[in-house]
Amino acid sequence: MRRHSIKPIWALGCALLFVAAAATALAQDGFSATYDSAHQVKLQGIVTRIDWANPHAYIFINVRDSIGTTNWAIEIGNPLDLEHDGWKSTTVHIGDSVTVEGNPAQGSHRQAFATSVTLARTGAKVFVVAKKPASVAAKAPAPRWPDGHIRLGAEPGKKGYWGPASASALVETKAANVPMNAEGLLRNFADADKVAPFLPWAKAVYEYRQRTLLKDDPLLRCLPSGGPRQFQTPHGFQFVEQREVGRILVLMGGGDRNWHFIYTDGRKQGQPDEVVRSYYGNSVGHWEGDILVVDTIGFNEKFWMSNGGLPHTEALHLTERFSRPDLNTLKYEVTVDDPRTYSRSWTGGWTVQWVPNEEIQEYFCEENVESTFIR
Amino acid sequence: MRRRSVGIGFGALACLCAGLTVTWPGLAQQGHPLTGTWTGDWGSDTIHRNQLTLVMNWDGKAVTGQINPGPDAINLASVLVDVTTWNVRIEADAKDKSGKAEHIVAEGHLDDLGSYHRNITGTWHQGSATGNFKIVRD
Repeated sequence: MRRHSIKPIWALGCALLFVAAAATALAQDGFSATYDSAHQVKLQGIVTRIDWANPHAYIFINVRDSIGTTNWAIEIGNPLDLEHDGWKSTTVHIGDSVTVEGNPAQGSHRQAFATSVTLARTGAKVFVVAKKPASVAAKAPAPRWPDGHIRLGAEPGKKGYWGPASASALVETKAANVPMNAEGLLRNFADADKVAPFLPWAKAVYEYRQRTLLKDDPLLRCLPSGGPRQFQTPHGFQFVEQREVGRILVLMGGGDRNWHFIYTDGRKQGQPDEVVRSYYGNSVGHWEGDILVVDTIGFNEKFWMSNGGLPHTEALHLTERFSRPDLNTLKYEVTVDDPRTYSRSWTGGWTVQWVPNEEIQEYFCEENVESTFIR
Repeated sequence: MRRRSVGIGFGALACLCAGLTVTWPGLAQQGHPLTGTWTGDWGSDTIHRNQLTLVMNWDGKAVTGQINPGPDAINLASVLVDVTTWNVRIEADAKDKSGKAEHIVAEGHLDDLGSYHRNITGTWHQGSATGNFKIVRD
């Protein structure tokens, strides 16, 4: 094992920028809980295995040092992002010599997140993800159905889905600016009070989750993320409006790649005691002009409803308002009512960007569960 | 025949237990940390232990529940938790075998807050007896 401190300030700056990009890519994958961004590791070794699977692609390398040979798992990014930028599983081959610089895993595990991988036979840096912004359609009004209702999905004959959210975590709207990273970790711990009107136990739990870098996040174990979080997960979501049967199908492109229904056939919401508790709850919706208003109850307590670790109980009741002011923008607003967790109802939200001419891609959170075991 | 049947049952049970062991960490209850069913025991030494099952529920104002639910259930009189330290104090009123009233006071600390296997350990006072206790969330 060869660990070196990279002293030049420019190198540290580059590393921090890369870590910031990595954290964005890994927002659902617990970068802070897994890797030590304050330290660098430099490794030279021979590629022994390439694991090109979601959510993280890895190369495994044999590293020789004074003690002997050890095998390291090097995380190189998300396969969808890598392929988007032209990289393939065949970019490197088993037997290639590579030099890796990156952040070591927390603890003493032989795992690292690569900030750069240099291929010895060509000298080229490989698996560089440019983090290009998602493509944006030309400005246009929101598409409508023949009867004038706003379409939440693509127009006939076109493709698209809802992609990046403007916020990394749910925060009460009146809190204005609460700086967070892409995982929903507060930049300033003292801002916890601004995030939501917590009851004391809920604030203590939220702070515990923040202090422990979100290590207990159920999403890291590929469990579903109900509530607002489903609309801010990497890899987007899609609405399929099945008007003939009075329901809207919500398809999740990231997380555990799940789906649920919003019923728009005029049925009444059930009573909380009647509803079978689930990750996504029981949703009924209706249109108020150009706004889809969705009422959801019946949540279980097995998930975090936002990045950053907002707690809730079975008493959670959400009122969500979806509108599409133009082709490219979905406005999402949610009122959270959970008197067992928060001292009053509160409202937050964000906007989501339309990604034209693409569909949500095939992504399975648990695809490389074997490789993600830290060894 | 009978032995074979028992063997298959044991094997299946072992597989189920193994499966649950693997999957449990992901099934944590993420709401109020005390809500749920807790099992363990209390006693004055390692040999003489008394089985405990506690069911607790946060209703938004207080934690309510029972010790050993069933015909001999004991209703919890109060559950106090200091969220700055996660110290927990549980009180209840039971009866001994002769029907004499016994007050229960359990004082402990909640550990592994984010884990499915979070636990409370501490001191258990019941009537004139004192011992230690440990309960783990199921």
